Order: sequence, then C-alpha cells, then structure tokens
Amino acid sequence: MKRADLISGIVLAVFGLMMLAFVIPLQIEQAPTGYVSPRLVPNLAMIIIVGLSGLLIVKSLRKAGAPPLLPDAVFSRSELIALLKVSAVFIVALVLFWLGTPLGAGIVLIAGTLVLLGERRPLILVLMPAGLLLAIWVLFYKVLGTAIV
Amino acid sequence: MEHLLVGFQNVLTPVTLFWVTVGVTLGYVLGALPGLGKATGVAVAIPMTFYLQPVAAIALLIGIAKGSAAGSAVSAILLNTPGEPSSAPTALDGYPLARQGKAQKALKMGLFASVIGDFLSTLVLIALAAPLARYALLIGPVELCAILLFSLTFIGGLAGRSMLKGLIAAAFGVFFATIGIETETFIPRMTFGLLELDDGISLVPMAIGMLAISEMVIQAGNAHSIDSEAEKINDSSSPDDRRVTLVEWRRCLPVIGRGTLIGSVVGILPGLGASVGSFLSYGATQRASKTPEEFGTGMIEGVAAAESADNAVVPASFVPLFALGIPGSVIAAILISALVLHGLTPGPMMFIEQPQMVADLYAAMLCASLILLIVGYTGQRIFAQIIRVPIRLIIPVVLFLCCVGAYMDTNTLFSIYLMLGFALLGYFSRKLDFSFVTFLIGFVIGPNLELTFRQSLQILDHDVMRLPAHPIAIGFAVLTVVTVFWINRTNSRLAAQKVALDVGTTKQSQI
Repeated sequence: MKRADLISGIVLAVFGLMMLAFVIPLQIEQAPTGYVSPRLVPNLAMIIIVGLSGLLIVKSLRKAGAPPLLPDAVFSRSELIALLKVSAVFIVALVLFWLGTPLGAGIVLIAGTLVLLGERRPLILVLMPAGLLLAIWVLFYKVLGTAIV
Repeated sequence: MEHLLVGFQNVLTPVTLFWVTVGVTLGYVLGALPGLGKATGVAVAIPMTFYLQPVAAIALLIGIAKGSAAGSAVSAILLNTPGEPSSAPTALDGYPLARQGKAQKALKMGLFASVIGDFLSTLVLIALAAPLARYALLIGPVELCAILLFSLTFIGGLAGRSMLKGLIAAAFGVFFATIGIETETFIPRMTFGLLELDDGISLVPMAIGMLAISEMVIQAGNAHSIDSEAEKINDSSSPDDRRVTLVEWRRCLPVIGRGTLIGSVVGILPGLGASVGSFLSYGATQRASKTPEEFGTGMIEGVAAAESADNAVVPASFVPLFALGIPGSVIAAILISALVLHGLTPGPMMFIEQPQMVADLYAAMLCASLILLIVGYTGQRIFAQIIRVPIRLIIPVVLFLCCVGAYMDTNTLFSIYLMLGFALLGYFSRKLDFSFVTFLIGFVIGPNLELTFRQSLQILDHDVMRLPAHPIAIGFAVLTVVTVFWINRTNSRLAAQKVALDVGTTKQSQI
C-alpha cells in the first residue's frame, strides 16, 4: 500500500500541477474588473491537492521501512479481470445504443454480463433480459406514464 | 404540530403508502445484498421519482434509505458480509448465531432494534431540527463558510484510514463542483466546450457510478467467495431458536435504548457516519455487560446494540442537513438533490418557506419506520433467501438499473459517460483508500462553500484583520485546526497500535 500511496501521490501532484499551469488558465477566462476571479476556488482546490499529495509522498517515503497497514497487493487479479469484463460489456452496449438500438444495448448489457460472469443456462440468459426489459417498460411506460428513450 | 397532523393526512393515502412500501421493500432487498447500501439505492431511484408527486417521491426515497439500513443486517448475519460497513459489528454476533441455527432469532432482533432505533431517532430529528434552524438563521456567510470548512475537514479526517487522503478527496469534490458556468460572471469553467457541462456535473450519474458500478465490479471479482458463504447457513428446528424470547427482550431493551442514543448523537455530528455509531454502541454494550468475553460468540445483545445505533444514525444525520443545509452523511448529500428536485431546499429557510412540506417529510419518515416493521417481519424469510441468489445473477440487474437511472437524469448518453467515468474513479478511490464519501460530500457542499467564501471575501474586504468581528467564524477556524491535529494524532496512534498488534501476532505465529 505504501508503494501505491507513493505512486498515487506522485500522479495526483503531477495532475494538480498540470491543472494549475495549463488546464485552469486555458479553460477558465479571467473575470472582468471588480469581480472575484472564477479561477479562485478551482486554483485553491488544486493547490490543496498538490500540497497534500506532496505530504502523502513524503509520508510514504518516510515510512518505507515500517510494516504496511493495508495489504501490499491493492488490486487483486480477479477484480481487475472483472473490471475488464464489465468495461467490455459497456463498450459493446454503448456502440449498439449509438447505432440506434437501445433495446439491443439493454439485452447486451444484461446477457453479456451474465455470460462473462459465468452464467451458461440458456433459460436464464433469455428470461432475465426479457423480464428486466419488460419490467422497466411496465414501470415507466405504463405505471409512471413516461418514455425513457 | 398542526402541520404534522396535516402531514399525516397527506402521507396516509393509498398512493403515498404504496410508494413508501415499495421504497422500504426495495431498500430492504438492496440492503440485504452485500455492497449495495442505502446511498446506492437512493441514487439509482432518484430519476425514477421524477414523475411522482413530491410527497410520494420523497416518501419512496426515505423508504429506500430506511429499508436498506435495516436490510444490511441480513447479509451481515447470514453471510458474515455486511451489506454496509456500518453493519460489520452486527456480523460479530449475528453470524455466530446463524451458524448455531439461530439465524431467524438474530434477524428478528436486528429488525426490531433497527425499527426502534430508527423511529426514536426520527423523533429526535423532529424535536431538534427546527429549533436549531432558528439559530442557524442568525449565521452569516463568514460563519457559514467557517462551519462548512470545519465540517469538510472533520468528515475528511474521519471517513477513511488516512486523513491526508480524505482531505485530498474532499478537495477533489469541491473542485468538481466548480465545473460549469460560474454564477456571478457567467464564465464557463472547465467545460471543454461541452454544452452538457454548462450546468455542472449532475450528482445522480456521479453517485451511481462511484457507489454502485464500482462496487459491482469489486463484487464481480469476489463472486465465488460470496456465493460459497451463503451455502453454509441452515435453520434450527427448535421454535425458541427462531424467535426472540421475553428474557431476551428484557436484556435487549436497555441495549437498544443506549444504541439509539449513541446513534442519534453520532448522526447529528457531521461526518462520523453509521459505522462509528454501530461500533461505539457495540463497544459500550460489551463494556457494560457482565460477560464481555462472550461477545463475538453469538450474543443477541451484540446484534441489538449494533443495529439500533446503525439505524438511529440515518434520521439523526438529517439534523445538520435540515437545520444548516450541511449534509452529515453521503445519504444526506444524495437526498439533497432529490429534495431540491421536488421543491424543498434543505436548510434553515425551509422551515419558514415550506413548513407543510417538511411536516409531510416527517410524517413519511415515521410511517416508513412502521412499514419497515411490517414489511421486514412478514417478508423476512423471503428476504433471507435473496442472499442465496448467486451474485452473478444480481450484478447484471444492478448494472442495468444503474444505466436506466443515470440515463433518465438528462435523457442523453452523456450521463452514461459521466457514470462510467466516475465508476472508474470510484473503483480506484476504493482500492487506494481515498474516501468517496468525502468526495461526494465535498461535491455537494462545494457550491455553497464557494458562494460563502466569495461573500466572506467581499464582507471582509479581503482583509483578514476584520475577522475578529466574527467570533463564531474564528471559533470554527480554530476548531478546524484543532480537528486536523487531533485526528492526525489519533490516526497515527491507531496505526502504531495496529502495527504493534500485527508484529505481536506474527511473533506468536512464529513461536
């Protein structure tokens, strides 16, 4: 965890400095005379983030020899694989939605996640997307009287 | 009182009671599922309330919050996996009871303690919020800015293991709140030319992404271990093992009273959260017991202590929200957007401008407590079966509902992109221990913090020497500094104790 702290501290400090040096000046115009600058609070927030990230780096370097409070492996393999699987399903569903088939996107989201998480029973793979989509249709189009898409 | 009676009249209609029941039932189910807490449930449900009457909508959300706070005991008792972190002490005695075949007894005591704690704490909210709000009206922007800063520091320090990370998360929350068109000069800030960002980032997709989607990814990674725990529990055949006996009631009632008191006090203080309440209550009950060594082996008092405090925190955490407009917990932060959406802006002015709406809300909260008892008691066996559903079947349902909820916020794909972006941020912040609770609370109070900060600069004419004219602000500024040092010292001491304990354990195992 200390290594993760060190790396996250460095990443956040660099991010904060980039925001202060480039992004905030480019993305927020100066205010007309007499107004409080709209950059004030974003700049202050970033200065605090850079300062605290610096402290986080120093703290993790100073305690390099001490036993860790949290497990060294922050990201478990199974969770990272799950993250990839869920991301893949979302990408396909979004592409389908973009192509104009929201129903298809819904089916892929439900059935795709089921398949990638290990469900193989055909009845479940058919009934769950159908049941959920039907339930949402009834809730919004019939009970609440509104359209989603 | 008049308003409250009319409030009951407004709430005790078939339509509103139906939505409260739906909310409580949904909340109970969500709470029973590990990782899906009240905040997630409310965040996902907010867009679905767009088309309901304000009272019914708020009642539904209150029902979800109360139901899931009570439902989280189900997975803690049956799976040893708390539905929310605040139910962790429930598992300490609830799970051993379940392993002894007394799962029904533990679940019933959990429900009764939850309902009593929740109901009494709602009465505390009703008694305290309005008088406190009267004092809050005397507070100016300089004082409010100092109070907000103190609250954020306090929450940042207590929400996670590391104060530094908590404060970084809070600063990020405030930073994200500045995105959008600035209200004084109308200059767009950090919008990157995207029109969708002109109004700022919406809380709903952000909360859904950070709370629900990121949690589902983690659950998906641990699906196997969660499913295998559910298969170990079986009920005893003795009727006494399935109900709470009179003797147990006598032992547990004082425990529930103490738990409710602790939970209410903890809830009123911004940032402490339900976990602190339930652990404090459990610890106090263990210390007060004649047989403290038996705690952790299946003591029914342990379940009563933890659950009463856990549920008492929720209504009490609305005291700072209603009186000062400061969300003391993540659920309060998320509820702000729902209340504003339905025409009720939390803060001291709501008691003057919309007393009837506030009374409706109180009536809905009290009714939700009673409906929670009915729904929980009659449906307990069914809810207990939910945890036997494999997690791989639950995750797709949650992901789908999250997408529907986020999409409905703006009816554009942009909300889904936001949800996914914040899901990734939520995943990394959970894994790296940056408190997403502090982030969300920073995001919610960010606009108010910025506004009062700007007003303070103008009132003080950019001169810090004028601050002595605002003693309350100075008091809170001093408190903020003291809090930083105090929490930092406490964290270091706890860390040192943990290291010593770990080293001791390692040595023992080596011997």
